[in-house]
Amino acid sequence: MFIKAVILAAGEGKRLRPFTETMPKVMIPVANKPILEYVLDSVKNSGINEIIAVVGYKKEVIMEYFKDYSDLEIKYVLQDKQLGTAHALLQTEKYIDDTFIVLSGDNIIDQISISKLIKDKNNFSMLIKENPQPSKYGVVFFEKNLLQEIVEKPKEEVGRFISTGIYKLQNSIFDNIKEFASQGIFDISSVIQSIIEKGDNINTTAANLWMDIVYPWDLIQVNESIIRNNSGSLSGVIEKGVTLKGPVKVGNNTSIYSGSYIVGPVVIGEGCEIGPNACIFPATTIGNNSVIRPFSEIRNTVIMNDVHIGSNSFISHSVIAHGNIIGHNFSSMSGQATMEIDGEYKKLETIGTMIGENCTIEGSVIVEPGITIGRKCKIGSINKIIRNIPSQSKVM
Amino acid sequence: MKCVILAAGEGKRMHPLTFTRPKVMLPIANRPLIELNLLNAIDAGLKDFIFIISYKSEMVRKYFGNGEKWNVKIDYINQGKPLGTGHAIGIVEKFVDDFIVLCGDTIFGKDDINKIIQNKTSMGLVEVENPQEYGIVETSENKVIKIYEKMDSPFSNTINAGIYHFNNKIFDYIKKTEKSSRGEYEITDSINMLVNEENFNIIMLNNWRDVVYPWHLLDANKEVLSQIDKNLEGLIDQNVTIKGNAMVGKNSKILSNSYIEGPVVIGENCKIGPNCYIRPYTSIGNNCHIGNACEVKNSIIMDSSNVPHQNYVGDSVIGYNCNLGAGTKIANLRLDKKNIVVVLNGNKIETKRRKLGTLIGDNVQTGINSMLNVGSIIGNDVFIGPGAHASGEIKPKAKIL
Amino acid sequence: MCGIIGYSGYRDAKNVLIDCLKRLEYRGYDSAGIGVLENELQIFKEVGEIKNLEKVVDNVKGTIGIGHTRWATHGKVSKENAHPQIGCNNKIALVHNGIIENFKTLKEELEKKGHTFISQTDTEVIAHLIEDEYKNSIEEAVPSALKKIKGSYAITVVCLDEPDKIIGARKDSPMVIGVGDNENFIASDIPALLKYTNRVIFLNDGELCVITNSSIKIIDENNNEISRDEELINWDFKDAEKSGFPHFMLKEIYEQPDAINHTLTGRLSEIEQSVSFHDTVEKLLGEEVESITIVACGTSYYAGMVGKYLIENITNLPVFVDIASEYRYFGTRNKSSLVIGITQSGETADTLAALKESKKSGCKTIVISNVIGSTATRLADGYILMQSGPEIGVAASKTFTAQIIVLFLIALKIASIKNTIGSDEIYKYILKLKELPRQIKEVLERSYKISEIAQIIKDANTVFFIGRGLNYPLSLEGALKLKEISYIHAEGFAAGELKHGPFALLTEKTPVVALVTKDSTYDKIIANIGEIKARGPKVIAIAEDKDTEIEKHADFVLRFPSNSQISSSISISVILQLLAYHVARIRECPIDKPRNLAKSVTVE
Repeated sequence: MFIKAVILAAGEGKRLRPFTETMPKVMIPVANKPILEYVLDSVKNSGINEIIAVVGYKKEVIMEYFKDYSDLEIKYVLQDKQLGTAHALLQTEKYIDDTFIVLSGDNIIDQISISKLIKDKNNFSMLIKENPQPSKYGVVFFEKNLLQEIVEKPKEEVGRFISTGIYKLQNSIFDNIKEFASQGIFDISSVIQSIIEKGDNINTTAANLWMDIVYPWDLIQVNESIIRNNSGSLSGVIEKGVTLKGPVKVGNNTSIYSGSYIVGPVVIGEGCEIGPNACIFPATTIGNNSVIRPFSEIRNTVIMNDVHIGSNSFISHSVIAHGNIIGHNFSSMSGQATMEIDGEYKKLETIGTMIGENCTIEGSVIVEPGITIGRKCKIGSINKIIRNIPSQSKVM
Repeated sequence: MKCVILAAGEGKRMHPLTFTRPKVMLPIANRPLIELNLLNAIDAGLKDFIFIISYKSEMVRKYFGNGEKWNVKIDYINQGKPLGTGHAIGIVEKFVDDFIVLCGDTIFGKDDINKIIQNKTSMGLVEVENPQEYGIVETSENKVIKIYEKMDSPFSNTINAGIYHFNNKIFDYIKKTEKSSRGEYEITDSINMLVNEENFNIIMLNNWRDVVYPWHLLDANKEVLSQIDKNLEGLIDQNVTIKGNAMVGKNSKILSNSYIEGPVVIGENCKIGPNCYIRPYTSIGNNCHIGNACEVKNSIIMDSSNVPHQNYVGDSVIGYNCNLGAGTKIANLRLDKKNIVVVLNGNKIETKRRKLGTLIGDNVQTGINSMLNVGSIIGNDVFIGPGAHASGEIKPKAKIL
Repeated sequence: MCGIIGYSGYRDAKNVLIDCLKRLEYRGYDSAGIGVLENELQIFKEVGEIKNLEKVVDNVKGTIGIGHTRWATHGKVSKENAHPQIGCNNKIALVHNGIIENFKTLKEELEKKGHTFISQTDTEVIAHLIEDEYKNSIEEAVPSALKKIKGSYAITVVCLDEPDKIIGARKDSPMVIGVGDNENFIASDIPALLKYTNRVIFLNDGELCVITNSSIKIIDENNNEISRDEELINWDFKDAEKSGFPHFMLKEIYEQPDAINHTLTGRLSEIEQSVSFHDTVEKLLGEEVESITIVACGTSYYAGMVGKYLIENITNLPVFVDIASEYRYFGTRNKSSLVIGITQSGETADTLAALKESKKSGCKTIVISNVIGSTATRLADGYILMQSGPEIGVAASKTFTAQIIVLFLIALKIASIKNTIGSDEIYKYILKLKELPRQIKEVLERSYKISEIAQIIKDANTVFFIGRGLNYPLSLEGALKLKEISYIHAEGFAAGELKHGPFALLTEKTPVVALVTKDSTYDKIIANIGEIKARGPKVIAIAEDKDTEIEKHADFVLRFPSNSQISSSISISVILQLLAYHVARIRECPIDKPRNLAKSVTVE
């Protein structure tokens, strides 16, 4: 059985701004690996070795990262305008001549789930997941495992299971898609519904590990879920007098200087310099080439590549994107806050700061809980930040 | 009749020991794994061998040459990219006619090999306790019906042992074989095609040992050492006690007050003692130094490594060219006496062993009085500083100070 | 230039030959051919890339053969001129990399003896010469023929009458033997073989080798059989794919932020405020030298010139930069000068020759290269790898910026050893270097702007690039890039030099690209821009973000973020690469394989 995989990776991910201002949602890193890499790994490990990726927004970031990906050839197909999942899938028609699976590149999925989907004997099949908040996704109704209906974002509490958006399909579906496309309908649920109406059965199988990242703060929780089950491994140079507890992963060419206290689960990338006397607490991920200077405390935080954290800083429950240069005595206070994304207001129990790429923050800056600082901002020293800072602004 | 031995694999689950050597060259009782098979095959009457090599092939070639040391002919074929067992066997088409194939990294006994030789088209099967790790074989009236892939709930304990007797018809089936779900060409798929049209007999094996993880080497080492005879070359001082069967190689010196409890094998050019204690089931390679006040037990120490002063090494594997600083000790038992869990390549693995020391790669150096924890894995070229603790998985080139 | 391959073994020769030739394609790609022995000599040749050749190869089953991919030197590109070239009686075939200087005389003599020639190549002469000398031993015929030849060669020869042998010989052109199991190879370089074997034997100049599927014989220039050890090659030359980018060069330009990180990895410590190299190199840099001499060709030479400014600026060592092919012609080879050779491939013939010369004069040598195991890295006393990953596009991009960064690291190291700048300063430079990747990402984001500017110069006859100080060699590089891939003539000038002659060329049709940085060169370059505009051309300035004045002077501005000399030079380099790329793209030029060029120039 020679099944191909179509991975949809064209979307921007507007609700994940400021992080998606410079990279597509699928490239946001969790535990130092882009979300898309988790998807590709699972697909590859389930035995599929032909992958077609539909790309669009900031596609070079994807192509550049995966250029040497493990002997697998990834075909890239461009979706110029993001019109909907069915439309994205349609772009791949000429590469598919049989059974295939389609999945989104921005949800973490494990290999067990994909294998289950492939092994399912039915021609059409999908993965579903039990979800405590079914109203965010398409809720599925099924009988004896056969799909009856998908209801997108229902207002009332209806079923418990949601669609993961991961399907096993036949290439006959392209005709269905084109039919709907001619009517200006581009979403996949309508097409799936029509398959049932035309008489084909769609089998539903429960997915194993599946995680969606919708808002910037989801990164903190998903990061924790992923690294929670890590085992430690040490590389680089670990100086004398460093205390490591629990699963701590340290990458090549990284130096952990004396007096540093690291409690896992913690993942530290390559080429970093930590300490002396830096404290890193669970569940924290630090990217490559980052520097955490002495006497800083980092807790429950995601730090991406090329970040510089000055001495005596305190960062907790935060996400700091690539390339930030943060001076000494930086405090991101964490606590209760209400954050606004795309018109929605969310109340959060414990949240710190979201900082976009390449900002320069000078010494002694304090940030109240729940603040978003955009990308390429410049914040001068001795400032207390009490409201969101839009991208490319200056605070003097 | 030619004997083809598959020796191309890297053996990723044997890290860190296989970063610099192919799995088949891992030493058991001071002989590479593949040599054990070679010797058993020679005892069973085979004289003409083809080794299929790829990963770190130069090690295999260097050790075996053209086979004259064993009075046999050894030829080599490079598999190149690891595309599966079917692909590997397919390459030798021009060189063989009626031939045996065996997996170089599994240990087969000479009687079993003989049985396979006697049976023109056959494969070896064996019963195991953990069939879910292997491919089950469905049989009927001593013939193969189907070979299955690994499954979670296997319906039988009989698995594919990895030894076959083919004639050149197999090549037609190999050419028709498609890639498996692993992306490789598997000989088992070719056999599944063959049995639709011809008979393929089964031979139940009695003597079979598979080594998957580094600590399995200790089990194999123990089993092979249990069969050795006493053979003392080298220079043995007075006041040396040797009990049981021990083999000491040429030019090795055993100095005063060394206490050796066999079965133990010691290679050539070693310096053992004075005042050291070597306990059963220990293999020490060539050019090693086990020094004063050292105790070594149930361990494998590869060539040119030193356990030179006041060390304890138990239930461990030490790679090539390592040096333990004075006072370095290896812990091999948990204080709560529970079974030991090892982290290898990021995966937690239950070893089901109560005692397990450290698995050390090549060129590792430890400073004085350093401590290596139970079940830790030390990658190649690591440096453990004086007084430092090493625990868990330590990746190659790391420095723990 | 030219890739040759020979195979004797058990696999189908045609598959092996074509596979290996594909890996040699970067050496030359105007035509290709293979010859397989199977009852008869079966020759297949075609113009253009290897994929054209594949279409014309029949299903031959022979297991011994030779192959060639050509970069024409004598004779135009055509099927007749492609290799293998054969003798009159269709029994001897050979492929050749090199130049035969006396081929015309030899050809005349052979014609007098009755040989007829089909091609205009010098190679065909060798085939007929061997045929002429052939009595019944190809092993003797080849060296006899070679004695009559003046020039450079790496040849592999097969003879129908001795169908199990391949003869290889080299002089001043590279050749390695690949040792296999039941098969053996001869190739121009190692990457061709890596898929099949990682054991090689290097053949030296003047030597001959005879390979069969099970034996390798090496004969030295005195006709004695010698034995030589195999060497094990550890590198993993992954077949680079374009991975979605339309051209390798564009992919490599976009790789720069990552590539810069790789070049810096393991060499910088912020906390320890230090730059470190491999012990051997540190020792060489620490020696008492009176000066540094940099030898290189092409883009690497310009990197060397940038290096001169960077090194002289912070150490007090005088730095000389010499074009490698000229180095042999002038005198002063002071053995107290540390010689640094820069060659991306490690095989550039001119640079190797210069390194050999300097070693002869007693100089210590360091090589900056991208290819581990290359000839240059084995020749020099120490080497620093750029760690940029393979560069397939013929025009250098990421390797240029990597070379500048390595030179800057050398400058910092020497400065710290000699204490010419304080550790505080060094620390600041280290921070600036670490910021480089994110700044370059920023520059890459502005690619669309550069694409707009490319429209302005796409129809120009000539483009001038000007700069002062560190920007002067960058202007030379900018011009070279544009020439290489868009085929528009371009010239770089020190801005102050324009008025001493080249001004005469300025018209409305000659746009000028000015490199403008806010440092001590600023006022003068602004003045230069004024002088230029007064004479007609449009001026495109490449200027810093913080430069608020430049709009008043230039017609178009391409901006980059900057906070130091080193980051300006890298940012400007990337903009110049993108500019050349976009112009070439608009003009639909074959960016990855420009006409008449080869990636690694191994002739002199």
